[in-house]
Amino acid sequence: MKTVEYVITDPVGLHARPAGLFVKKASAYQSNITVKNTENDKTADAKRIMAVMSLGVKQGNKIILSIEGEDENTAQAELEAFLKESL
Amino acid sequence: MGFLDGVFKKKDLEIGSPCSGKCVSIKEVSDPTFSEEILGKGIAVKPEDGKFYAPVNGTINTLFPTKHAIGITSADGVEILIHVGLDTVNLKGEHFTAHTEAGATVSKGDLLLEADLDAIAAAGYDTITPVLICNSGNYTDVVPGVEGKVSQGDCILRIKI
Repeated sequence: MKTVEYVITDPVGLHARPAGLFVKKASAYQSNITVKNTENDKTADAKRIMAVMSLGVKQGNKIILSIEGEDENTAQAELEAFLKESL
Repeated sequence: MGFLDGVFKKKDLEIGSPCSGKCVSIKEVSDPTFSEEILGKGIAVKPEDGKFYAPVNGTINTLFPTKHAIGITSADGVEILIHVGLDTVNLKGEHFTAHTEAGATVSKGDLLLEADLDAIAAAGYDTITPVLICNSGNYTDVVPGVEGKVSQGDCILRIKI
């Protein structure tokens, strides 16, 4: 299993558009991917938009992705790059 | 055509309009996040007043702190996002009043949110309101229920199981 830790810098947090783009990206991998908001300890399936939005991720919150599956290495690298660029 | 047709044929799930106004294709929304259905299949309503109601019986999943969008899971498991206006996240809650909270159980027709549409338009934002099915992939299809003028509660989307 691979993990990615990231602190959200986007001033409005993980709202609809970035959540949609993130889920679309995460859905492209075979691996099981979960995202946890360390602020409230809620965890969601990274491939489900409503679940990701209901984590209530705000600016300054740290999220942890847990990635498990055949393409976990690619997913780890690409999702980390996506978070840094977009959120 | 016997009465058993109704028993064996799975019935479409109906999603009501969250507001009164004019219903248009999601393709007419100028923001690709919605028109390209990144958040799910759906439809859009140009609201005529600022009152937004529960489109189904269900539970409030998400109420953004900025109050411009609400996520609801229906009693049947349909995940619906109502996004009032485009880029309205930038208003940071201004011109919006919430009448519900995350975790609340709601009945179709309950008032969820009020928005000052004139003030939002004056601030330079389009008030068109996409209504999206976030778990569209779980269903055979999501099709528009109607186009044109709608009242709050009228069926605007049919979910084919």
